[in-house]
Amino acid sequence: MMGEQPFETIVGAHHAEIYRYLRRVTSRAAEAEDLSQETFLRAYRAYKTLGPDANVRAWLFAIATNLGRNHFRSEKRRRVAHQAVSVESREADPEGPEDEARFGEARTLLESTVQGLPLKQRLAFVMRKIHDLDYDAIGRSLDCSAESARAHVFQALRKIRLSLNGHELPPARGVETSPLNMEQPR
Amino acid sequence: MTRKPNGCLEIEPDLVAAATGDAEPGASRRVEHHIDSCDACRREFHRYREIEGVVGVLRRGPAAADSVARAREGLESRLADLRSRLVSYRVFPSPLGHILIARSEHGVSLVEYLHGGTDLSMSRLSRVGGVEAQEDGAEIEALYRELLEYLRGDRTRLEWPLDLRLARSDFHRAVLRATAAIPYGAVTSYAGIAAEIGKPAATRAVAQALRWNPLPIVVPCHRIIGTSGALTGYSGDKVGLKQQLLAVEGIQAIGKRSDSRVARNTLYHYDRNDQHEYCLPTCGDIARRPIGPVTLLASRELAGALGLVPCSACRPDLHPLAA
Repeated sequence: MMGEQPFETIVGAHHAEIYRYLRRVTSRAAEAEDLSQETFLRAYRAYKTLGPDANVRAWLFAIATNLGRNHFRSEKRRRVAHQAVSVESREADPEGPEDEARFGEARTLLESTVQGLPLKQRLAFVMRKIHDLDYDAIGRSLDCSAESARAHVFQALRKIRLSLNGHELPPARGVETSPLNMEQPR
Repeated sequence: MTRKPNGCLEIEPDLVAAATGDAEPGASRRVEHHIDSCDACRREFHRYREIEGVVGVLRRGPAAADSVARAREGLESRLADLRSRLVSYRVFPSPLGHILIARSEHGVSLVEYLHGGTDLSMSRLSRVGGVEAQEDGAEIEALYRELLEYLRGDRTRLEWPLDLRLARSDFHRAVLRATAAIPYGAVTSYAGIAAEIGKPAATRAVAQALRWNPLPIVVPCHRIIGTSGALTGYSGDKVGLKQQLLAVEGIQAIGKRSDSRVARNTLYHYDRNDQHEYCLPTCGDIARRPIGPVTLLASRELAGALGLVPCSACRPDLHPLAA
């Protein structure tokens, strides 16, 4: 089945997000750049066989995730060989200094905790909490069930909770209200 | 850390989900109920709410717009390169043996008889540099169906967009274009094509170009024969295939394999003339003139379609050849 939209439309609609996703889960901008391009080259090859009802975004995340996992497998071997781990400093925050002042330390700590999570937890966490993918899509990306995907995110949050132990965090908005509000859409 | 009571341990995944806006409805109610009576878990709940706030900030980074743009730019150029190289193909059975059909973004680029095997390694595609071949389905399947109709005689045209990049040179491409213009049911010679492209001395080079025709059947090199009427070569030594393809179009051959030639006495003849008249093979010495200037036609309908009129001397309209 031929995809409904021309491929350019797919690139236009999803490239930036896939790049950001990969930028979040890799340690270097060059890796994210290369993997995001590779994601779309793979997608282009397979695009014609995609059903008309396919969830293109979830499909692209699955390709990106697979490429990312393969990349980390070889990266791990490389790192073991060279014992060299360098994480680039974060790029400038486009949202301005206000968040930076309020969340700066906690954010930095959170980011390094995320970077240190086991791969599947990190990928599941980023897909769920940063990109709002549903657990079915995350499960498909990680070759596991939706329940396992949910468990990965839970484990990730637990570890983040532990790493932030003792750090004062800005109070969450709406915390004083009744827990009844907690089902509000995010 | 003190060990949590079992109830708290059990509710923990739901509690984390509820605090981070990720719980299913039933779970939210259970959590609500639990933290009403458990201070420790209520504090945990609020802690996770705070963490959710920091995670929200994380959503906005990283990656400044210029690095996204740079990655995008690189992608566009790699994508353009892939598009120019990517060829999808499939191998099908046919009455003429296994046939590989391949197409690029620009059009059909290869139709190939596979002798002796059906995998890609048997194909020219595996030997051409700068091509990425990908086995593919639906689009090529449609071409295949049309090809089968053609081979059954149920279709006289394959109106496919063509990509002639697998031809070896511009000269070869010129030969292929001139050949593609020879209509269904007509036959001309290598010399005729050479004259047509303005290189009348290049008969051998024309034959060589058609020997490498990347699009047999579609670019109907089977309609090109020797000036004597001999079928000569086809796809190596597969003169039999040429004979079959011509037979589908109503052009019969006589003689055995190596010296088979078209049966001129069963075909109308057109020797280029200002009156655009076509003749019976019995008109004067026309059937003894070399094919080249003369074109052979399988039917009066074809002659009519080409804008030709019956010769006023031999009157093919009054004495049609037996079908």
